[in-house]
Amino acid sequence: MAEQPLLQACRVHKTYRFGAHGVEVLRGVDLAVHSGEWLAVLGSSGSGKSTLMHLLGGLDRPDAGKGEIRFRGEPLSLQPGSALDTYRNRDIGFVFQFYHLLPELSVLENTLLPALVFGARAKRRTALRRDAEALLGAFGLDHRLTHRPSQLSGGERQRVAIARALINRPAVLLADEPTGNLDATTGAGILDLLAERHKQGLTIVMVTHDREVAARATRQVHLTNGTSDSAAAQ
Amino acid sequence: MEDHHSTAFHPPVESTVYASLVSNRYLTSRLIPVIAVAAVALCVALVITVVSVMSGFLDMLKASGRSIVGDVIVSSGIGGMPYSDELLAELRALPEVAGATPLIDTIGLLRMPYPAGPQKETAHVQVWAIDPASLTGVTDFAEDLYWRAPKDAATADALAPDDPRRSLDPAILEDGKRLVQSSTNTPGIALGMHVSVGNARQRDGSYLPRYGWFMPGLEVTLTVVPVSGKGKIAEPREQIFPVVNEVQTGLFEVDRNRVYIPLAEGQRLLRLDEAPLYDLTADPDASGNYPVIGRTPARVTKLLLRAKPGCSADALRDRVQATYDAFADRIEADRLRTASMPRFVQVLTWEQQLRDLIIPVEKEREMMRVLFSLIYLVCAGLILSIFWAIVVEKTRDIGILRSVGASRTGVMWIFLRYGLIIGTLGSALGVVLAWGIVTNVNPIHEAIGSDAPLAIRITAWGLASACAVGLCVTALRRKFLPTLLWTLGTIVLSAAALGLTLHHGTLIWDPSIYYFTLVPDKVDWWAAGTTAVGGVLFSVIGSAIPAAKAADIDPVEALRYG
Repeated sequence: MAEQPLLQACRVHKTYRFGAHGVEVLRGVDLAVHSGEWLAVLGSSGSGKSTLMHLLGGLDRPDAGKGEIRFRGEPLSLQPGSALDTYRNRDIGFVFQFYHLLPELSVLENTLLPALVFGARAKRRTALRRDAEALLGAFGLDHRLTHRPSQLSGGERQRVAIARALINRPAVLLADEPTGNLDATTGAGILDLLAERHKQGLTIVMVTHDREVAARATRQVHLTNGTSDSAAAQ
Repeated sequence: MEDHHSTAFHPPVESTVYASLVSNRYLTSRLIPVIAVAAVALCVALVITVVSVMSGFLDMLKASGRSIVGDVIVSSGIGGMPYSDELLAELRALPEVAGATPLIDTIGLLRMPYPAGPQKETAHVQVWAIDPASLTGVTDFAEDLYWRAPKDAATADALAPDDPRRSLDPAILEDGKRLVQSSTNTPGIALGMHVSVGNARQRDGSYLPRYGWFMPGLEVTLTVVPVSGKGKIAEPREQIFPVVNEVQTGLFEVDRNRVYIPLAEGQRLLRLDEAPLYDLTADPDASGNYPVIGRTPARVTKLLLRAKPGCSADALRDRVQATYDAFADRIEADRLRTASMPRFVQVLTWEQQLRDLIIPVEKEREMMRVLFSLIYLVCAGLILSIFWAIVVEKTRDIGILRSVGASRTGVMWIFLRYGLIIGTLGSALGVVLAWGIVTNVNPIHEAIGSDAPLAIRITAWGLASACAVGLCVTALRRKFLPTLLWTLGTIVLSAAALGLTLHHGTLIWDPSIYYFTLVPDKVDWWAAGTTAVGGVLFSVIGSAIPAAKAADIDPVEALRYG
């Protein structure tokens, strides 16, 4: 019996409605992500990569009755909103192309944010703070803890975003064009950082339009016209 | 990362720590919340200040009213009440009564000593014929006598150089208390402070004689019209009285109209004194006189009573009514009595007696409270628009928060908490501001009524000049926003400096016109509490709509387009 995928998209359709008109972005996408793999979803602009990532991360739901997302075999579509909030907080870590840090919070506070969403008593908060400092230290940001995002470079911001995604030790890291807003050198550094975490066992799903970036993953899936073609093992 | 802690679809309780963190950072890193807090504070301070001052005036009015008429007033018709001494003795024996006094309340004409020449001015007045000694035990009559010699040299030095009190004979106060001119031993009259045009009220509440007419020692002629028990008008009667003092009760209506004469003089002038009782059914003697068969008792038209501490005016009124009824029954049953008690007398508390004065002020206060409470709507609208703008600006933040697991309720709580903090801070600041204004309202009022000090005028012009310099610098740098702000600052400060230079003092509550010398300066803490709670409540209501909008934002759209 084959190993159960950690995260799975089964014949997923997604249509965006604009009044009477609808644009079908995903047309029956199938995808299986296994524990410990680094999957790159390749596709051109508008191919539905980000939409697929939002669906996998529980930020959005597939069209009613048209496919489903499964995590550890359990369909997300059957879960209430509060369960999806927990899923995003505990099981998923998001990394976005434009970092998406809260500008009023410091580097340390941005990193701690997901950890504070559910139950963080004073004693636990002290431990969390130590974890966050260690994580940021590992990313070379220990001298930037009290700085605001506006005081950081693009690469530093993305490292903070990755630290934030990892603070709750999620099962899957979903990265949407994580190097899309960075120069080649800085982008390579970010990919090295992801590779290091992958080596430690982190499951990563990364969407990108860049073949060189995708080449760092262990497996690639092409998304074309809203459908996924055959997975290409590296 | 094999040790991740999935809670797959068994959600734990969401914490509010992150909401506190985010809303605190929104509060401390932006200018808009400061503006919102200031707006709430101003609204709250305005309502508390207005209601406190109005409540203070009402309390002063009530205190003045009670000090003029006591707690309970018994009033009869124009025929008066006989046997008042006996009735008063019974009333004074009641455990609830601290003091009781008889008087006659009528109207009259007062010929003044001014102007010079044969044609004198005449004023219509309310005449109170009183027993000064017992009236002092019921009202503040003795304390209200205005003209009195200073107690000591220090008190005298504190008076203005031209204040007549500096050189008054100490006997003037005793004369007023007895309504007797001691130098001639003749019955005297005390005038309400504003009966005579000779008294000019000063800004400190004192009086100076105007046109040289200092009334004590001058003579006035009082004319009254006796009216029989059957309502027939008799020949008017007049008497010349020396003015022995003047009375300042604190109520303009009273001090403008009322004069005080001794009770015996009033009874005599109005034919309410003790008199022979003739048998008109018998034949008259050779001189045409009917035989005397007894004497009719003297009468009064009012009894004023003061309650002992702890006894309410209402309780005393009921007790007095019952005592009067029992007394009237006894007089009725006594065949030896030559007069009967009037059956219909009014027994009223001081509040009922003065309702024409008190109720309009009470209504006015409530109307002001309602009108100014509409400011709450402005407050809620302001918070709503500010928060709406913040939610629109923070749409992407909302998407980020949702992506890290914040629930819709959690996002809503961030903005509700934001509103709660702004409302609480604003209300607290408003209470402090109102306290500062109300407790210093008299110095503020005095400052508004005086020329601005030179140092303040120079400072204002200095600041205006500094703004003008700033305006020139920013205009040269061609920066629109700083130029606009410096222009506004220059205009406002120049206007303020010009106003301070041209202003020579305007007293809003001029004691030379209005009665109370001081504006009430006690905070109405009940009003302050309810207003502050209202400020918080309406701030939360104002933030609720944007908070709900924030909770409804689609996280995907927020991340894409926010």
